[in-house]
Amino acid sequence: MSPAPSPSKGNWTPGDDQIAVQRAPEPGGAGGAYRAFGETLRGLKTTFARVVEGVNTIQYPEEKVAVYPRFRGRHKLHRFEESGLEKCVGCSLCAAACPADCIRVVAAENTPEMRVSAGERYAAVYEINLSRCIFCGYCEVACPFDAITMGHDYELSDYNRSDLIFTKEMLLAEPLEATPLRAQGE
Amino acid sequence: MPRPHQNLITFSVDGREVQAPENMMLADAAKLGDVEIPVFCYEPKLGHPVGACRMCLVEIEGIPKLQTACSTAVKDGMVVHTQSERARVAQQAVVEFLLINHPLDCPVCDKGGECPLQDITFGWGGGKSRFIEPKRHFRKPLELSPLIAIDRERCILCYRCVRYSQEVAEDYQLVLLERGENTFVGTFDGHPYVAPFSGNIIELCPVGALTSRPYRFRARPWDIEGSGSLCTLCPAQCNVTFTVRDDRVLRVLARDHHEVDDGWLCDKGRFAYQAVHVDERITAPMIRDGGELRTVSWERALAEATSGLRRAGAKTAALAGGGATNEEGLLLGRLLRDVLGSPHLDSRSGGAVSLADWRALSDPALAATVSDLEFANAVLVLDCEPVDDAPILELRIRKGVRRNGVALLLASARPSALDPSATETLRFAPGRGAELAWALAAALQDGAVDAPAAAAGASAEEVRKLARALREAGEEIVILYGEQLLDGDAGGLLALADALGIAEIEGAGLIGIPEAANGRGLREAGVLPNGGPGFSAPPLGDGLDAAAIAAKLGDGELSALYLLGVDPLRSFPDAGAWEQALEHATTVIAHAAFLTPGVREHATVIFPAESSAEKEGTVTHPDGRVQRLRPAIGHPGDVRAEWRTLSELARLLGGAAGPATAAGVSAELFASVGLYNGLELEELAGHGVRWPARAPAVARSGEAAAKPKLRRAAQAKGGRLLLGSYRSIWAGPEVEASPALRFLAPRQRVELSPRDAAKLGVLHGEEVLVSDDQGELRATVVLRDSTPSGTAFLERDLARDGANRLRGPLVEVRTAPSGNGDVETLLGEEELTHA
Repeated sequence: MSPAPSPSKGNWTPGDDQIAVQRAPEPGGAGGAYRAFGETLRGLKTTFARVVEGVNTIQYPEEKVAVYPRFRGRHKLHRFEESGLEKCVGCSLCAAACPADCIRVVAAENTPEMRVSAGERYAAVYEINLSRCIFCGYCEVACPFDAITMGHDYELSDYNRSDLIFTKEMLLAEPLEATPLRAQGE
Repeated sequence: MPRPHQNLITFSVDGREVQAPENMMLADAAKLGDVEIPVFCYEPKLGHPVGACRMCLVEIEGIPKLQTACSTAVKDGMVVHTQSERARVAQQAVVEFLLINHPLDCPVCDKGGECPLQDITFGWGGGKSRFIEPKRHFRKPLELSPLIAIDRERCILCYRCVRYSQEVAEDYQLVLLERGENTFVGTFDGHPYVAPFSGNIIELCPVGALTSRPYRFRARPWDIEGSGSLCTLCPAQCNVTFTVRDDRVLRVLARDHHEVDDGWLCDKGRFAYQAVHVDERITAPMIRDGGELRTVSWERALAEATSGLRRAGAKTAALAGGGATNEEGLLLGRLLRDVLGSPHLDSRSGGAVSLADWRALSDPALAATVSDLEFANAVLVLDCEPVDDAPILELRIRKGVRRNGVALLLASARPSALDPSATETLRFAPGRGAELAWALAAALQDGAVDAPAAAAGASAEEVRKLARALREAGEEIVILYGEQLLDGDAGGLLALADALGIAEIEGAGLIGIPEAANGRGLREAGVLPNGGPGFSAPPLGDGLDAAAIAAKLGDGELSALYLLGVDPLRSFPDAGAWEQALEHATTVIAHAAFLTPGVREHATVIFPAESSAEKEGTVTHPDGRVQRLRPAIGHPGDVRAEWRTLSELARLLGGAAGPATAAGVSAELFASVGLYNGLELEELAGHGVRWPARAPAVARSGEAAAKPKLRRAAQAKGGRLLLGSYRSIWAGPEVEASPALRFLAPRQRVELSPRDAAKLGVLHGEEVLVSDDQGELRATVVLRDSTPSGTAFLERDLARDGANRLRGPLVEVRTAPSGNGDVETLLGEEELTHA
């Protein structure tokens, strides 16, 4: 079996390549000492300057980081203040907008005996799988009734994945502990 | 009327040269050039356009004003602009105008997301409204019927639903009330719109004004998936799309197939899906243990069934029906014939028809297609009631009569809903269709009519008149007959077909509506006492037909009964004989979805049956179209595929292990049924394949014309009436189990003529006892002017008091000696018998 002739037949001669080698300065001498310690001291200058500012550690979880007003944390569902009816009508537009497909809505019809929301329908099931949510806030944008907003809570760790599926009751309830908010201009 | 011939012409739309059939409406023709013209009121299925909504305005060169594309026929050389400045301004104005009164409640509207008004507003609207005045308000939502909700605020008055009710279903119930901006859709006096085909207006409505109540707020379009399959609740086998969410069927939509259903569905097909997910449904195998039914594991149930069948061996009989597929029929035949050595299986309740007649009836030369009903010169409806037996065919017949001038000729025992559309009607004695066919054949050949007409209980003069009308109508004649005509004898029907020369004429033919939803397929798959797969000679000789099976089970000559999707106690004639038969049978194995009486009282092993949304396999339409069922959802609970159970049983009983997949069983079916040879599962996808269209015509040998077998019709005498029976469109356990449809589930009613009622002294709505020497049942009297005097009609296939409890032919009707004796008003009775 003869090898096929290569298109660029052996025109390459190694002697044509120029190889430039740069060498570091020889060790030792004053230049050598500066190179060993000078740059280190320059970095340490920043370190020691911060020492005088005092301790800056936040004692989480006893103490919490305040978030900006537009911080996108865990979702909240809302009620009308006067009537106590849920704002959500179960239209499922949030589920349609959700890029992570983490919202599930099953709607039902309000009856005169059991009126849950202001419209004809209400969300009988409203679940957000927070282990899948990417906190993009599209649900809030899609909602035609301002029924869902992104809250400020960010403490969302749990021992079970299934515990991270938040139901309507959990989303409607006020969080046990309010997340501190940054004041204007802070 | 023969099918219209179409010339191709060329016209230009938005600068594209498009070829289209001449006189096609512009809105349709533009689609051929990939140009969409927005429409609301236009729907070709509704017949002539009305141009009510003005959404489709386009500019046509040479015509000074804008034209409605839905009502302008396309002509050669036409130049159309749909996106010119004038057209755009007009489209935006129309959208703005339609939205003046349309509420902005899309988030709570069920149509939201699949709404033509949303789509067209987005695509062709101006995006702004200048209207700040208050919108009109109505109370919302109202029940138009228990199945349909109407929200009148959302209505854009496109007339589609009203036109449908007036011109397609012809129930004339929906009307537009009031005038001007107060106009709304409703019924004349506000009574509910209950009709066999009312659900179609939900799909027709281009906005959310008419919505389905069972589907109300169940899901939004992005939550669901559509899964195409078939409805197997009746022989019409309409193509449907199951709407599935979270592995549950939530809705059934029509899947347009011109050769099957023309895009319509009946309410039973549309709403009986609820029976898939009810608690009453059997979802685990059961056995009878000490007289009580007990849920057991599959292994236990199969072991029980195996030992029972092994004990019975060749003394086993089998019945198949319901929605059983061709594959299940084939496997049942193999289980009985090859494994157990018994030839006794049947899929019909009537007397056996000879194998030669079956072959003759399935001759492709005699076959008609469903669309032939629409273009024939005449349609002869013979011994069937289309709205009850295969509802969607009724709409097709009405379409032919209304739009193409088809002459409709009716010959039936019971007055039909089609009577007002018919040019000629003839009544005969119940159960004497075969004799009438002989009489008609004789009349067409100028033979002796008197004897067969008398046997049929019809007047010879009327038979001659009908024959004259048949001959004068033209040569393309389609005969739509019910299977009850084939009670032991198909000779009359074949003689009639010969007399009309149907075999030689293109566009003429026979369509037989079987009793079971897949009756034709089961027959062709070999579930016949005297025919193997593809009407081959049965390997073990002729077996017993259904009536003989009942008798032999009662005598103890047979000992086991295998019921595939059928309960003879409920749906077969002569319940008394079946009661005896089931009582004496040692083993009764039933595939059942519901505990119907025969199953509940007598089954020793129950296998949970699949619903049509879960089934996989093929079924055969009455016109020979082999169609494919595809599973839309998984099996709930412990349900298993029926074909799997059947082949597992065959294996446990020492037979050959069958194929491991449903597709494998289908392949075996196509290989072993001669008529289906060469079919492949892939080509059945979507529209199915009519095997008669591929098969060569069978050259019928010039066999001597069979001698008419005439059974003399009984006469009403001594105050006793002739008994006739019918199966209502609403009969069946699925209707009784569906919460939305339950209000339509029939109770026994006896139809009498007013003259007989006066003689008997009973009133409309009164509770009576109907009895013969066999038994007695309670029924409510319904008086119908058109009922021939001397006959009484009862309903079959009811949960209780079904007509099969009486044997007839004569029954006695007398006032019920009940304690209450009150006159009840019948729910929706006028709506159901709009004749």
